[in-house]
Amino acid sequence: MKFLSNVPTTHKVFAALVLAVLYALPLFVTSPVMLQIFILIFFYAYLTSSWNFVGGFAGVLPLGHSAFVGLGAYTSTLLYLTYNISPWIGMIAGGIVAAAFGLLIGLPTLKLRGAYFALATIAFAEGLRVLVENIEKLGSFEVRGPKGLLINLVGNSFRDFQFLSKVPYYYIILTMLVLVLILTFFMMRSKVGYYLAAGGEEPEAAEALGIKVSKYKLIAMAISCFLTALGGTFYAQLVLYFYPKSIMGLDMSYEIAFIALIGGRSTILGPVLGAFLLRPVGELTRIYLGDTLPGLHLIIFGLVLIIVMRYQPRGLVEPVSKWLTAIFDRIENRRRA
Amino acid sequence: MIGYIESVINGILMGSIYGLTAVGLTLIFGVMKVVNFAHGSILMVGMFAAYWFITLTGVNPYLALVVVVPLLYFFGYYMQKIVIKPIFEAEKHVREPITVIIVTTGIWYVLDNLALLVFGAEFRVAQTSVTGKMVEVAEMYFPLAKIIGTGITLLLGVYLYWFLKHSRMGKAVRATSLDREAATLMGIKQSRIYNIVFGMGCACCGVAACVLVPFYYVYPTVGVPFDIKAFVIVVLGGLGSIPGAILGGVIIGIIETVGAQFMAATWTEMLIYAFFLVVLFVKPSGLFGLRQDY
Amino acid sequence: MALLEVKGVTKQFGGLTAVNNVDMEVQEGQIVGIIGPNGAGKTTLFSCIAGSHVPTKGSIKFNGTEIAGKRPYDICKLGVTRTFQVVKPFANKTVLYNTTVGAFAKTNRLDVAEEKAMEVLKLIDLYDKKDVPAKNLTLPERKRLELARALATEPKLLLLDEVMAGLRPSEVAEMLPVIRKINSVGVSIVIVEHIMQAIMNLSEQVYVINFGKKIAEGDPHKVVAEEEVIKAYLGDEYVANSH
Repeated sequence: MKFLSNVPTTHKVFAALVLAVLYALPLFVTSPVMLQIFILIFFYAYLTSSWNFVGGFAGVLPLGHSAFVGLGAYTSTLLYLTYNISPWIGMIAGGIVAAAFGLLIGLPTLKLRGAYFALATIAFAEGLRVLVENIEKLGSFEVRGPKGLLINLVGNSFRDFQFLSKVPYYYIILTMLVLVLILTFFMMRSKVGYYLAAGGEEPEAAEALGIKVSKYKLIAMAISCFLTALGGTFYAQLVLYFYPKSIMGLDMSYEIAFIALIGGRSTILGPVLGAFLLRPVGELTRIYLGDTLPGLHLIIFGLVLIIVMRYQPRGLVEPVSKWLTAIFDRIENRRRA
Repeated sequence: MIGYIESVINGILMGSIYGLTAVGLTLIFGVMKVVNFAHGSILMVGMFAAYWFITLTGVNPYLALVVVVPLLYFFGYYMQKIVIKPIFEAEKHVREPITVIIVTTGIWYVLDNLALLVFGAEFRVAQTSVTGKMVEVAEMYFPLAKIIGTGITLLLGVYLYWFLKHSRMGKAVRATSLDREAATLMGIKQSRIYNIVFGMGCACCGVAACVLVPFYYVYPTVGVPFDIKAFVIVVLGGLGSIPGAILGGVIIGIIETVGAQFMAATWTEMLIYAFFLVVLFVKPSGLFGLRQDY
Repeated sequence: MALLEVKGVTKQFGGLTAVNNVDMEVQEGQIVGIIGPNGAGKTTLFSCIAGSHVPTKGSIKFNGTEIAGKRPYDICKLGVTRTFQVVKPFANKTVLYNTTVGAFAKTNRLDVAEEKAMEVLKLIDLYDKKDVPAKNLTLPERKRLELARALATEPKLLLLDEVMAGLRPSEVAEMLPVIRKINSVGVSIVIVEHIMQAIMNLSEQVYVINFGKKIAEGDPHKVVAEEEVIKAYLGDEYVANSH
């Protein structure tokens, strides 16, 4: 555990406590609605953390990540429905497909000004959605165009990635989130992380220091797309029915970017914080005010984003972590005294 | 054969109006290097303004230009001044102003959903003196509103070209777009130029809105399809190039209408995105773009 | 064989010839200066060597390998690293982070890279500031950080682009021993500089460039006495008056 040596004890204790509480939560919270809210918070935190590899650390702005969610969901589900391949294996296949597409989009655009990359990712996501809506059959795969895919209920089966209770889904997505955060932690402390940060901030200086900036951005893109697609498979198995607009629409892409920027890009905990702030607002206003005030949650998202960018352009994780650190320091001092 | 000629001309007419919706976007990008994602929403605001003006007064639809264009100019001017400027300032030394881009997305969300709250989701059609009128030329039929719209597009294109090349303010705008710092040293007040450019970009949306309202539905998310098309158009034409935006629009229009002769409309949409990605691969500066600026 | 061998390098921008058929050599362990008036083409020549520009004609050999037209990151991997006149630190990151980025050129391990970075920071007298974000440094400190970062890539040849421009005389005086120290650990240096005092003080060999052409080369003290050089710097009248 040498890599944790410069993390203060109170931080470690706090992190362990939070994790313990989250893992124990289903013992106390049994309402499926509440569990579903937590699952979606973790799901969005997971997607945003995956997005963060390219949107945060590589310093560009991808706005079409829903395409990779969709690629993951469609790949694993089509493999399952057609050849009865376990979604767990399909998940990896989806990740590989998504990473390949990510490289294809990144190759011409990551060298250009960021605006081109942002626009290209949008065009790719929309183009892919329209394409899928137009395909009824692809070889032996029944894509079913705009009607989408329906996964048959088989009851509790780990092999089929299906559970009647929400609890297994809760643990799966929480674990996926924890793993991606650990990956982020190691990435930030690796050559790739250092090179991405350098290339994102000062590309010319980075090249002079021996960094092939576009290569590292492509690596980040491939990792990001791969991880995002795994999330897509999870979502498909959670809802068991999806169609192009529901799983690869631009709304999801924008929400991921919003969460990242409000929480704090290129930080480990920014995406988690952002998801914990935005998601409940979205769910609660939708559940309670959705009929009388449609779209209210989106107005709130927009306003929160504008205000946070105005006063905390690096995201809310900065003031929150300062505040937490102050508390930890006080605890640490008292413990020593 | 005549059917193809008719659809090509219809494509040019609709395409130039697409171009018109993209002109403001390319103008703002050319100077500020910011992609304004709220562009479609501003178009939507203009369309609602034009719709209500025409419906309530019952005058000739193109008289709405007199009201809507100044209205959107000030809307854009103050939006830049109050919302965007402080965020832009904080990021001015950053090569890629990501925060500004995402804030314009926030503005889009707020505007579209406010419109949904206020006006509801229904589709509205303005009944005007040109709505539904067709013009016959050699046994081919063209909507009058689109012909007028194309004329207005060309006039605006020529005006903007003249403005940027020859007027005093236009020269200041071009100087700022070439080199922010140097222009500031020459006594050009950069933030004021940005306000004006943002205002003008939005005013262009106002023109497009007045052109669209006589023949297009008005609804809260009407900006979204135009937005995405405008993104494709400006990259096709070369980000920052005004003639490029109009020509890019025409290309998209022709793909749409001619493509519709051979395949379902959804496939032509697909074709546009594919064409866009191919351009990015082959010639990222766009078909008419300036080389140095990507 | 010379460490760096520049032969007949020409760089044209459209109709303008910024560098015209320049030859130059750097021997192992040397400090070589490139001087010349403003706009003479020094920085363009420098950029050709560092890979930021592709020369129109000519060859640039480092350790016998042709590097003309190679990209900066490849040139860096071969052992030639440059600094920038307008310093470009990774502003939000600490001094140690900045330097570690450089040190990753020779290793994949963070602990090894950090160790190397600290070693360099000590050599360059910036160790005390290792945890300070680069944006909070003073200009002389930023210039030293620029040096530290480049040095951390373990170059055989270091290209310094006006590393003393903008510094006060007292700060220049502090910088000179730092550059000598770098040289003394076995790094050859090419230095483009405006400040004559610094060049005279440091380099064993200087090249004088004017209007893109090499007009003189050799021992710095002899070179500055040459008529062509005085003319280039001060104009014709001064030469006439001195006779």
